[in-house]
Amino acid sequence: MEGFFRPIAIVVEVVILMAVIYSLFLGVKFSVLDFGLEEKYKSFICWVFMIMGCLALVFFIAHLITFYPRLSV
Amino acid sequence: MDSLNRFWTGQEVYITKIFLPIIIGFLILFIGLLAIFALSFWRQHYRLWHLGKEENRSDHGATRLKTLLAVTFSHLRFWKELYPSTMHFLIFWGVILIFMGKIVRLFSYPVGLTNPPQNIFKYASCVSEIGGLLVIVGGCLAVYRRYVVKPPRLETKPTNTLIYFWGAVLLMTGYFVKGYRIALIGGSAVPDWLSWAPVSYLISRFFLILPTQPLNELLVWHRVLIHALPAFLFFAYVFITRTPLQHFFLSPINVFFRSLRLKGILAPIPNFEEAETFGVREISEYTWKQLLDLEACTNCGRCQDVCPAHLTQKPLSPRRMTQNLKNHLWREGPKLLSAPPDQRQPEAIMEKTVGEDELWACTNCMACEEACPVYIEQISRNIDLRRYLVLVETKYSSDIRLTLKNLEKSNNPWGMARGLRTEWTKDLGVKIFSEVTDPEILFWVGCCGSYDARNQKVATSMVKILQASGIRFGILGNEEGCCGDPARRIGNEYLFQMTAEANIEIMKGCGVKKILTLCPHCFHTLKNEYPQLGGKFQVIHHTQFLTELISSGKLKLTKPINKVITYHDSCYLGRANQIFDAPRKILKSIPGLKLIEMERHHNRSFCCGAGGGRMWMEEHIGTRINQMRTDQAIEVKAELIGTACPYCLTMLFDGIKEKGEAETMAAFDLSELVEQSM
Repeated sequence: MEGFFRPIAIVVEVVILMAVIYSLFLGVKFSVLDFGLEEKYKSFICWVFMIMGCLALVFFIAHLITFYPRLSV
Repeated sequence: MDSLNRFWTGQEVYITKIFLPIIIGFLILFIGLLAIFALSFWRQHYRLWHLGKEENRSDHGATRLKTLLAVTFSHLRFWKELYPSTMHFLIFWGVILIFMGKIVRLFSYPVGLTNPPQNIFKYASCVSEIGGLLVIVGGCLAVYRRYVVKPPRLETKPTNTLIYFWGAVLLMTGYFVKGYRIALIGGSAVPDWLSWAPVSYLISRFFLILPTQPLNELLVWHRVLIHALPAFLFFAYVFITRTPLQHFFLSPINVFFRSLRLKGILAPIPNFEEAETFGVREISEYTWKQLLDLEACTNCGRCQDVCPAHLTQKPLSPRRMTQNLKNHLWREGPKLLSAPPDQRQPEAIMEKTVGEDELWACTNCMACEEACPVYIEQISRNIDLRRYLVLVETKYSSDIRLTLKNLEKSNNPWGMARGLRTEWTKDLGVKIFSEVTDPEILFWVGCCGSYDARNQKVATSMVKILQASGIRFGILGNEEGCCGDPARRIGNEYLFQMTAEANIEIMKGCGVKKILTLCPHCFHTLKNEYPQLGGKFQVIHHTQFLTELISSGKLKLTKPINKVITYHDSCYLGRANQIFDAPRKILKSIPGLKLIEMERHHNRSFCCGAGGGRMWMEEHIGTRINQMRTDQAIEVKAELIGTACPYCLTMLFDGIKEKGEAETMAAFDLSELVEQSM
């Protein structure tokens, strides 16, 4: 039972964390464009955030697999 | 131990070790955020508005405040459309409730309100839980509408999507924090939390508990941080970046500074004699309120949905025009602010931001202003652009050129000889006002009643009614000139003022006190705009006058007209002057006449297409507006269309002919129907 719930719990946590990260990065992107950054940098920002997002995803997965405790249902 | 104490006993560790530091940190950062908000408000908004000209909008503070509170908290201007209103109402009140609950809890920790635990916490919890639920329901309605229904008036930008997404994440993580805490102390141990935190309690049943207290503390700490940090950054995003959510402060400001005048009243050009330029060429020539209007537009599209020009495929959408002007302000404003006044090279609005066809398509019907929930004033803004084109650049179509020439030369838009103005009165025994002994009222016939064959019949009917009622009246005859409405709406303020001043002088010279008009445009101009030039008269529209005559028994309507009639509300009688009941009372007084309403009536009425000088311009693009209005009358199976405006009568008369319905349908002015029934 424990072996079944832990991966699900980790996936749920990762989804929530990535939703937060996605919101933050998109918010930052829109903000810097609104503050006057030229449109030509838009794709550069997208790539930077995509790479950072991937790194964050890898970190969250690794972190949660390593540290997420064993569950007692 | 009651449930509250039981809950708190299990929560102490989280409060002291987790919540208190995060809340204190949040409050400190929030104070900083407010400072940044104040700075960005000044930099991004206030400075831009004050590029514009001065305009006094600080009078009648109490009335303004009352409107602001009513519009904001009851959504007074929203309820014409149930779905979007319900959606916004739920989200608005949901957010308010969440904040009420959060504020109690935010400040209760540092001031020790919850130690020992008090019931206020339970109420705060309940309030924010319900608030969250309202936001979820309203948010689902909004998402369904924007992404599934996709009404054409809604423009979805990436930032709209982000706000929905981010908001959903915050709600979810917020519920997760409390749900997890309830789960930790054993959801079933505190069953009455179903009442105080219904959503979190239900969620708590699905949470899995970690085996040791320190691990649970760590997870709660993570959960709080995952909620609080994005929440703080969400505020930062909304406060500092120009997101659509900034309408939470821009809209109330705009509502507060709204125009308190009747709709459709245009302001004269200040210092007309000394002014070097007229109207608006570039963005800083608008007033500060007009610039605030641009920023306050929420892009909701209600104006677009009611605009007759847009609905008949003209290149005008009030929503798009406002948004384009807003983008123009955001693009040009900072450049203007950074350059010394003598080195500024502002970009012209026309052509790049507003097209000529777009500008001239406006019928000045005010439907957009009526529909706008935040009182954006579109008409005066358009007229300012027209004033520049007409008075400075003399750039307009040949139709307008001819109309203005006719007005200048002959004092009527058709260019008919002044001496022919009284031709219609032959055999009617109508006297000139100055020749009437002890006159009660001046009958202002207007150009349509004087020159247009169809409307001469209306003027004749009115004369017969006046004579039958024993009213001592007179007309100005050949001394009467155009009231000035076409010139002013086209943008020729100079011609308007010349015409109006001449009329005022003549009427004052004759000792006119009370004026009766057939035309709502004359009515509006004489009543509401002549006082700007010193012409203060008691002006009454013929529908009001006829209602008075019928109510007082001076006029008896006995002959039945066994027809089904629909009444077309004229924009300048209805929306501008709020005269809706008088025409309907008249129609109900006529025996046999059955009144039915079209889908768009009263203040939602649809323009006939003749306002704003359009009466004298060709309609080359899209469907003709008068045909669309005629279709609406055909839809309700009306046999007659009743009007109280010569422009509307002409347009609907033409519309019926153009639709091939002349055999089964007819358009009449109300005075004609009254005369038939006498």
